[in-house]
Amino acid sequence: MKKSFALSLTLATLFAIAAAGNARTARADVPAPPAIGATIVDFTLPDTGGKDHSLNSLKGKNGTVLIFIAVQCPVSNAYNERMEKLAQDYKARGISVVGINANSSEATDAVKAHAAAHNLTFMILKDNGNKIADSLGATKTPEAYFLDASNKLVYHGRIDNSKDIAQVASSELREALDATLSGKPVAKTTAAAFGCSIKRAD
Amino acid sequence: MPLLSRLLVAAIVIGGLLVNVSTPAQSRASHRRAVKTVASTRAVNAEEMQALLKRDGTRPLLVNFWATWCDPCREEFPDLVKIDKQYRPKSIDFIAISLDDLADLKTAVPKFLREMRATMPNYILSVSDPEPAIKSVDPAWDGAMPATFLYNSRGEVVYKHFGRLNTVELRAAIEKTVGMKDQKAEGTKQ
Repeated sequence: MKKSFALSLTLATLFAIAAAGNARTARADVPAPPAIGATIVDFTLPDTGGKDHSLNSLKGKNGTVLIFIAVQCPVSNAYNERMEKLAQDYKARGISVVGINANSSEATDAVKAHAAAHNLTFMILKDNGNKIADSLGATKTPEAYFLDASNKLVYHGRIDNSKDIAQVASSELREALDATLSGKPVAKTTAAAFGCSIKRAD
Repeated sequence: MPLLSRLLVAAIVIGGLLVNVSTPAQSRASHRRAVKTVASTRAVNAEEMQALLKRDGTRPLLVNFWATWCDPCREEFPDLVKIDKQYRPKSIDFIAISLDDLADLKTAVPKFLREMRATMPNYILSVSDPEPAIKSVDPAWDGAMPATFLYNSRGEVVYKHFGRLNTVELRAAIEKTVGMKDQKAEGTKQ
């Protein structure tokens, strides 16, 4: 009796595990993003001129914002001015803004031309083969990561609630930066918004 | 040919011509009928969208989130139209939810749907804060588009795909979901 109960329990457990994994997702090959509080390991990527930069060489003394951006995504493009202003506003406060283009469909020359056309003066790196997008679990543009001075992830998600600047009611990324600069905990550590899927290398 | 027969033939030919040559007004009416066969679009808020996703235990639901500004969404749409025509009449419900601006409700969105010859119900999601809407669809979704979800008739997500669609996978998921429902129904009968 005990044996048959144990067998039933095992089968029920296996069935539950199978059922839980039943909702298939195409994103299974993209690792989950690091947890808030995790330390982001240093990495090196080339800029649009081909020169390599490490995260540690670019980081600000008070932290670093990494934003996955795109050349053609209208949502990312709606944020061009806001991202540039963010970089300017926080440069003096010791926080660097770094753009990363991981779209396999957008060549380095196009990324460079796009930055020039939209007056993006912050550093933009090209993530060929989307290795860093994979390690950070980035799926869309724009998608922001804020790392504190010791490269710990303190915020991950949207820049604000709306691509239409007139509709912006909450600026979670700026709030995370301001809280960290004030030595306060970040109230909202993740926030989602619609964006364009990162086109990964085949 | 007797005169009466000739007159009869002439009457039939002229009558046929009159039937086939439509007036501009008739043509407009015919166009209106044709327009009615493409997808209709209306705006919904987050609560209305959640109501659309609810299932009553009868049919599974396929949902595609898209936008006219999203290239992979546009590229995969012809495949979705084919899947809609194949499965919606007999086994599943299918709705498309667009993240276009409300200003595109009567312009870019219906124009694209007409070009695609899409007939599934389409909605524009209009929300000031997208996060609660995104999380209500699937807590694991972060808003990357396109995104496609298949709910079974009990409203559980049984398949999801972020990025450009894999039609082989999606068809297999639909067949499996519909098949499972049938098996369950058969099991209930026994």
